[in-house]
Amino acid sequence: MYDLSAVVDIDALSEVRPGSSVLVAGPAMTGKDDLVYDILAEGSREGEGAVIVSTGTRAESVVERYRERVGSDEFGLGVVDCVSDSEDTDLEDVITHHVNSPGDLTGIGIGITKALDGLQNREIDRGRLALTSLSTILTYTDQKTVFKFCHVLSSRLEAADYLGLFTIDTGAHEDQTVQVIKQAFDGMIEIRERDGKRQARVQGLTPAPTDWADL
Amino acid sequence: MSESDLPVVLIVEDEPDVAETYNLWLEEAYDVRMAHDGDTAMSKLDEQVDVVLLDRMMPGLSGDEVLERIRDSGFDCRVAMVTAVEPDFDILEMGFDSYLTKPIRSEELRTTVDKLLDRSTYDELLQEYYSLVEKQATLEATKSSAELADSEEYTNLTERIAELQDELSETLGSIEDDDEFVARVYDLDNGHEQ
Repeated sequence: MYDLSAVVDIDALSEVRPGSSVLVAGPAMTGKDDLVYDILAEGSREGEGAVIVSTGTRAESVVERYRERVGSDEFGLGVVDCVSDSEDTDLEDVITHHVNSPGDLTGIGIGITKALDGLQNREIDRGRLALTSLSTILTYTDQKTVFKFCHVLSSRLEAADYLGLFTIDTGAHEDQTVQVIKQAFDGMIEIRERDGKRQARVQGLTPAPTDWADL
Repeated sequence: MSESDLPVVLIVEDEPDVAETYNLWLEEAYDVRMAHDGDTAMSKLDEQVDVVLLDRMMPGLSGDEVLERIRDSGFDCRVAMVTAVEPDFDILEMGFDSYLTKPIRSEELRTTVDKLLDRSTYDELLQEYYSLVEKQATLEATKSSAELADSEEYTNLTERIAELQDELSETLGSIEDDDEFVARVYDLDNGHEQ
């Protein structure tokens, strides 16, 4: 089981089944990326693998930011960089793969495969994958294709017993788009801001949505 | 044209002995058609055909040319290219769904055909699942919860979605394989399904 409750203090997240994929949804600037990085870092400190698919930040910056979150250099990490196509020189310990554009789903798929294989070769056989963000991919590709991509990717993660976290900016799409996309996932963590406080609740992993909890 | 409910496999192979061997391996479980050259292959292709086994090296129309014509024809069948050398991911752009390297063993041939049929089933289910989920989201966005509770259409929709979820998880078993995963993502990227 994956325990996310240290990052998001909600009971439903203390035992998330391996192979689950979760949509992390909220408006812009509500810390969705920080949240998923923290969830991955928590796993890295326990010796789990981490895979980050980044549509907006280049691999070097992803690694730097991730290192800060984990607080050490001791982690197995794979990064799929959809922003820059230059090979980074100082990322020897990180499995990196560069994709031409966030719309190149085949490239992203190959990158994820490479990362999962690379981690497995280091005898890391469970871990957490973050994809930030689906909103960027949705600007390149239609909703139907993105939905199917999420479904296929979720099933790959299920076979690998990984935990998947996919962020989406709810302000950038019609409500209906988010309603459709979320059906490709096992559950959803919603983020909102109320009176200057960030709050989260969980849908789908429990029979009814949980109450809002402060982050 | 198909006389049975068995999946239809079209073998395109210029060497009669080889074609007959494939036929022997497949005829029990599939409805097999055979073509000894590219032109015959095109005349035997219709919407019934599920899988094409296509030899790359043939006199007359080459396998690559036949593949292009199959894709242009709009028939939604899966193509396994039979090659002499193992291709790399790079030539995925050619538009075939799988490849077999000669010499082919009987078990390998059957597994490949089954895998391609599985992938088609998955695509069809996913296609239906998507369209129902989209319909559900539209209803939820436009109707009140009281209206939804009274709607027979909405109830049926919700039930069918739950059924499809189960069917989808059942056909998912074979996605552990990396090539399989990349091939399925490739399908989406290139709009394989109509």
